[in-house]
Amino acid sequence: MNKILTIAIREFLAVVLTRSFAFGILLPPVMIGVVVALTPILMNQKPPTVHGHIAVIDHSGKVAEQLANAFTESSIRSRREEETKQITDAATKAIGVDAKTQEQLTKGSQLPGSEPSLPMLTVKILPPDTDLEAAKADMRAIAGKRLSDMGPDPRLALLVIPSATVEGEVASGSDAISYPDFPLFAAPRLDVEVTRDIRTETGKAIVDARLKSSGLDASKVRGLISRPQADMQIVTAAGERKSNEALQMLVPGAFMFLIWISVFTAGQYLLTSTIEEKSSRVMEVLLSAASPIQLLAGKIIGKGAVGLMVLLLYSCTGVLALIAFAMLDLVPWQNLVYMVIYFAIAYFSISALMAAVGAAVTEVAEAQSLMSPIMMLLIIPMMLWLPIIRNPNSPFAVGCSFVPFINPFIMILRISGSEPIPAWQIPASMLVGAAGVVFAVWAAAKIFRIGVLMYGKPPNFATLIRWVRMA
Amino acid sequence: MTAAIELKGINKSFAGKPAVRDMTFSIPQGSLVGLIGRNGAGKTTTIRMVMSIIFPDSGEISVLGKKSAVESKDRIGYLPEERGLYKKMKVNTFLTYIARLKGIDNAGLDKRIRGWLERVELLGSAKKRCEELSKGMQQKVQFIASVIHEPDLLILDEPFSGLDPVNARLLSTLVDEQHKAGRTVIFSTHQMSQAEAVCDRVIMVNDGTKVLDDTPHGIRSRFDPKTVEAHPLHPLSDEDFAALPRLPGVDSISRKDHRLIFALDGRERPDQVLTRIVQAMPVSRIEIVRPTLEDVFLEIVLKAAKTPQEREQLLLLAAGNWGEGSSSGD
Repeated sequence: MNKILTIAIREFLAVVLTRSFAFGILLPPVMIGVVVALTPILMNQKPPTVHGHIAVIDHSGKVAEQLANAFTESSIRSRREEETKQITDAATKAIGVDAKTQEQLTKGSQLPGSEPSLPMLTVKILPPDTDLEAAKADMRAIAGKRLSDMGPDPRLALLVIPSATVEGEVASGSDAISYPDFPLFAAPRLDVEVTRDIRTETGKAIVDARLKSSGLDASKVRGLISRPQADMQIVTAAGERKSNEALQMLVPGAFMFLIWISVFTAGQYLLTSTIEEKSSRVMEVLLSAASPIQLLAGKIIGKGAVGLMVLLLYSCTGVLALIAFAMLDLVPWQNLVYMVIYFAIAYFSISALMAAVGAAVTEVAEAQSLMSPIMMLLIIPMMLWLPIIRNPNSPFAVGCSFVPFINPFIMILRISGSEPIPAWQIPASMLVGAAGVVFAVWAAAKIFRIGVLMYGKPPNFATLIRWVRMA
Repeated sequence: MTAAIELKGINKSFAGKPAVRDMTFSIPQGSLVGLIGRNGAGKTTTIRMVMSIIFPDSGEISVLGKKSAVESKDRIGYLPEERGLYKKMKVNTFLTYIARLKGIDNAGLDKRIRGWLERVELLGSAKKRCEELSKGMQQKVQFIASVIHEPDLLILDEPFSGLDPVNARLLSTLVDEQHKAGRTVIFSTHQMSQAEAVCDRVIMVNDGTKVLDDTPHGIRSRFDPKTVEAHPLHPLSDEDFAALPRLPGVDSISRKDHRLIFALDGRERPDQVLTRIVQAMPVSRIEIVRPTLEDVFLEIVLKAAKTPQEREQLLLLAAGNWGEGSSSGD
């Protein structure tokens, strides 16, 4: 036992004390934090303020005036503020944050420097008989120039509103009235926000003009046809809170992914360290001090501790985030315990196979073909994620819960989903998982014992099976 | 006295090809034994079976009174033929790890490691990564790893291979010290002269089979001398050499530099032939040449050769010191 512990401690320290571990494991959460913090700042990087005018040739005579009002500074500002509010509301509804957090988010979007840069636009109404090519000439003159070199009031866009677009026209051979599109000529590289604004506001002004022509109140009609949204509340034992459908899908996936990444990371370290010990010929020195089983056990335990560290590190980060957003009720504490147990089952079964592959080959490249079946075992739960969380109690989901090697991943998906599963399935799946572990470690020990001193041509899968039978 | 190692009828095959056949020997405690044979003879396979790294197909092995080395690994020091170190690990960390694996407590371990590093002139390299050391230095570190826990039995597989003469002498001294400290030492080598100079017993292996097991002196005395070497008092001309009389018991005479080599035909005792030579010509020096271990070994393997081509190949190998520089294991 002492030797196993000595080997395990070395295996653990050999990974966690390296720079690559710090960069590979600790850096991603830090990077995500940095990206999250920097994104709003980067998004608010103000582009050069767009200034200039939009020329309008309004053949209907009913649109240009409303359009001019839509592009005053105050109109543009109130439009942008309304858009920001809508985006914040949609995001908070999707993840179901509480009122306090929503207030904090709204405050965050109002921080100094977070205000969007407003374009300085005016609308210049041209007479209906203006020559179109002459009107475009001003735009051609500034084509290819930078905003700062375009002069004090460049023509950024030219709108032509045909009267048929407002009044409608009867198509030949039919009684139906159609409303043709309107042409918009824009300067190259015009800010996409401005282009979108021109299109939207012109469309709106045209529709308003049509409604007015029909004797209707445009603002009243818009109010009438606006579609209401359900304000869903989730009733919990502690009270009611906002719905969080997106998170209900994401949380089980997060649990599974945490186990997956921890198992894969630790297994990968185990594979490469075994290959390294074999290729550097240090294996024989180790085998003179410890038996192959002690060596295998120490290596698996040591690298398992690395996996557990990764699991706990990422889990704690996730729990802290849930506490910060007051959504800890999404993750019952029992699920965290189940996660650790299912991690242990998944890790011991998968990593034992990876250690066996590591012992059988001499170079990392040689391990590729033997790793394929193991990678398949790891990919299957990823493929089954969505069908399982949509219907965690389907016969398929229950069946997968009792397939060794993949059942830890399937069970954590089902347990952390929204629908409760029969209690007996949890210990039963653990027993099946434990049986998988016993089989994997038994087979791995046999392969390991033979493989560690085999050099030369790498064995194929059939040879590994033969080793299991003969040892 | 209990045997440190005892092998009874050990057989081992790889993919149907026998590597060790009916190997039987007993090594008493406190002896210094050389396991000699050319590359591929079965030395490393035998040693690995003794170490319980691989297991025999049949036969019995007893190590330090136990049925397997697994039960007494902490009392055995082992230097494998394939040298291996953790490349990125520091020298003192590596030695600490191996010592801990061998059951040594941390108390006084640093001092012990420093003492050994000082002994092999590597104290300045204690904090260096293993990959920064030269091959010879790495070999010395590995030797320390095999003796750091003061084992009762020390097994060294080709310990002198790849060492320069200075380091080979240092290692030879260290091995001798271990022996004098009462430890059983067994080492394999294909350099017969090394074994002849150091060992108090030699086990000769050829083609997976033990062919000889005796002291170096015993082996030499069991093999009759085959030549007498004489230094004529005056250099002989070609005419003088051609006129040398045919002597009873002499098969042929050849010249090497100024020496005359009388090949004996085995019908007369060597001392009788020596007397006849002295009577036939004036000599400044004359001696019966005793066979070296290498001569003995060559004679044995040549006898075992099945074809003339195999004999020729063996002679070529012998000229090249039985594959020195080859990296293949056996």
